[in-house]
Amino acid sequence: MDPRTLTTVTCYHCGDTCAEEHRTHDGKDFCCHGCEVVYDLLNEAGLCDYYDLERQPGVKRDASVDEQRADLFDIEEVRSRLVDFSEQGITRVRFNVPQMHCSSCIWLLENLHRIEPSVIRSRVSFADKELSITFREEKLPLSGLVRLLRRIGYGPQLTNARAGSRRTGVPYMLYIRLGVAGFVFGNTMLLSFPEYLGADDEAGLRSGFQWLIVLFSFPVVFFLSTDFFRSAWAGIRSRTVNIDIPIALGIVALWSRSLWDVFTGHGPGYFDSLAGLLFFLLIGRWYQAYTYRALRFDRDLEDFLPLVVIRKRGQVEEPIKVGHLQTGDHILIRDQELVPVDAILREGTAHIDNSFITGEPLAVRKNVGDTIKAGGRQRGAAIELEVLRPFAESRLKQLWAEQAAGEGRPPMPRMIDALARRFTLAVLLISAGAALYWWGHDSSQVWPVVTAVLIVACPCALALSMPFAYGHTIRLMGRRGLFLRDAEVVERMAQVDTVVFDKTGTLTAREAHEMRWVGTALSGQDRTVLRSLARNSLHPLSAVLYKELKDPVLDAMNVEEQAGAGIMGVVDGRPVRLGSAAFCGGTERSRVAGEARVHVAMDGVHRGHFAIAKRPRTGMAGAIAHLRGKLRVALLTGDARVDPELLAAFDGATVRTECGPTDKSRSVREDQARGHRVLMVGDGLNDAGALAQSDVGITITETSAALTPASDAIMDAGALQQLPHFLHLARKARRIVVASLCISLCYNIVGVSVAAAGHMTPLIAAILMPLSSVSVVGFVTLATWIADRGSRTK
Amino acid sequence: MSIIFVLITVSTLVAGVFLAAFIWAVRKGQFDDDRSPAVRILHDSLPTRNEHP
Repeated sequence: MDPRTLTTVTCYHCGDTCAEEHRTHDGKDFCCHGCEVVYDLLNEAGLCDYYDLERQPGVKRDASVDEQRADLFDIEEVRSRLVDFSEQGITRVRFNVPQMHCSSCIWLLENLHRIEPSVIRSRVSFADKELSITFREEKLPLSGLVRLLRRIGYGPQLTNARAGSRRTGVPYMLYIRLGVAGFVFGNTMLLSFPEYLGADDEAGLRSGFQWLIVLFSFPVVFFLSTDFFRSAWAGIRSRTVNIDIPIALGIVALWSRSLWDVFTGHGPGYFDSLAGLLFFLLIGRWYQAYTYRALRFDRDLEDFLPLVVIRKRGQVEEPIKVGHLQTGDHILIRDQELVPVDAILREGTAHIDNSFITGEPLAVRKNVGDTIKAGGRQRGAAIELEVLRPFAESRLKQLWAEQAAGEGRPPMPRMIDALARRFTLAVLLISAGAALYWWGHDSSQVWPVVTAVLIVACPCALALSMPFAYGHTIRLMGRRGLFLRDAEVVERMAQVDTVVFDKTGTLTAREAHEMRWVGTALSGQDRTVLRSLARNSLHPLSAVLYKELKDPVLDAMNVEEQAGAGIMGVVDGRPVRLGSAAFCGGTERSRVAGEARVHVAMDGVHRGHFAIAKRPRTGMAGAIAHLRGKLRVALLTGDARVDPELLAAFDGATVRTECGPTDKSRSVREDQARGHRVLMVGDGLNDAGALAQSDVGITITETSAALTPASDAIMDAGALQQLPHFLHLARKARRIVVASLCISLCYNIVGVSVAAAGHMTPLIAAILMPLSSVSVVGFVTLATWIADRGSRTK
Repeated sequence: MSIIFVLITVSTLVAGVFLAAFIWAVRKGQFDDDRSPAVRILHDSLPTRNEHP
């Protein structure tokens, strides 16, 4: 195979672009050993249909996903969190598998029994990203099952929260209410037909139907409306007027007036309108209740850290819960595992990747005796640590507690509530005025007119416009990679006037690097030699070097890696060293923060060093410039230095360096005290406080499986440059709500004036009510869609 | 004309049965996941062994 082939080759398994020299096997290309192994496994089990169902469906085994040693799953405390039931050696477990993303995934995960005979049945719930497996535990321990899942790239995520314990999404009671509402609405309308058509009451058809309709109205009031009554009552008790108060008033007026009409023989009542009202209101509730069930917006600190670690006592290694660790315990942390407590390094060389905390992807080297803070991830060989303080006292835990106990963000009144206050007042005034007027003219008309006003003024369309406008906006944003927690976030976003960015991991990509060579020029041959040596090292910087240099590789001989210093070897007959300045015989000049250096010595001469830094995400400069046209923009970073490229984008804006987690949230709080509405974009745990403090907190994530701090919204890293568009859309959505409110108010005014004049008939009510609801929903849907299309083409 | 009362009663009862079926379906979780069952139904045939192109 010619390593210089220029055509891009994609991996047969995962679809990633393959490096120049990659693995070919069975006539197919693979980007890495992992993908090849999965293919082999599937091929052996005859499961290659996997590749026919979707194009390149495979999941690359991602080191950033928190992976614990599989045998930890056999510990009772961990096991009991996953197991649904276990009887006579047959066990059912439920895993959270965030990696599943397509129909191939579903197919493979439900065909597990063909790879592993001990699996009896496996079922996927795609919406929850949950996998439940029934298997013979006597033949295959839970840890074996976990290993199998990891081998095929669907390693389950183990967090402290019990899988499936927190069900979100549409509550099933809402579905039942919706079903009952539809049933009652349809039947009531059908039974009202003789009334609509003005049929004669021969054979007692009309009066017979009448009582049936009365019967149907009971579940409407006592089952379907309870949520609205409860919310209205809560509003009255807390002395705030919410939108549910006029609605509850309308429902009560409708029902009591209709009953009165029927019992006194005045007419058929408005039962059909009542059922329709509840049906439409519940549709609004249902539309609003839709959320991204697989995403979790609220997280505890414990979710981020391993549940169990290996404690070493003498020569005995035993698993222990993180919460039970005592000062002075020795623990073992292996490659890719998180350090759960503050600890001192006792054995081995640690390369701690703090991307979890700060977003900084470059690992920091620690030597024996150094302190390692909780939350760092070890990359490289296993290390032994001495626990400095128990988990409850760790810096991370305290930080988290501080954030939770914070003052909280300033309240933002909902537009709909402010409107509801005036609306309710107006309705009460009008009905009082109408009552007074009719009292003077014809006192028998007081009751009918007052109830008619209350009925027609019931703000059904008003209550529908917000759920539909914001619900649509949420879906449109979700399609582009921004996932909002709920509809209220849209309104908060619309009022934002300040955007605060975190730098590391947010504006700079997590895994992409920028490499610069400082020293005497390297020939192509030199680069080949360096890349060949770098390939032999497990150090993260070597991996970057190997990835960034695009030259062909040769075999390296006599390779020797010295922990904490570097790697040396002979390539093409030339002795080469890569590593620290001292190791390569150079002198270390002043270091720049946020930059790592790899020194190079060839043929015994120090040639210079590679400076490796993170690269800003593409398109960000343009997006920031766009944002700055309308809003205040600020940058808060924990680093001492900001890349010149980014600094140029933020020229003249607030840029604060060396911000600790508390500095960030304080800065946001200060902005809010000055009356600004702040949107914060961040990623690491150190932004968690600021994200919670800001009016809208958005978390950036690169993989769907990553853990994110608590926030209002989760954003795909690739969608960040669309932030101006998202803000624009949110503001548009708010304007659409205002417009639809105007439309529904027009209906109300027309209706109320008809009712106040005493001309309201059941037929007019039955037409007006659905007409206003349907037209408002139609307008909102269409307008949101047009707003999205319009701002996208811009 | 009285036949219409019988008809109405019967049709309401039938509608009630459907409502009950709907409530049962919601409680059994039929509406919990709308993606995987749709995909699952397409996957049931046995794939061929080791003959992947």
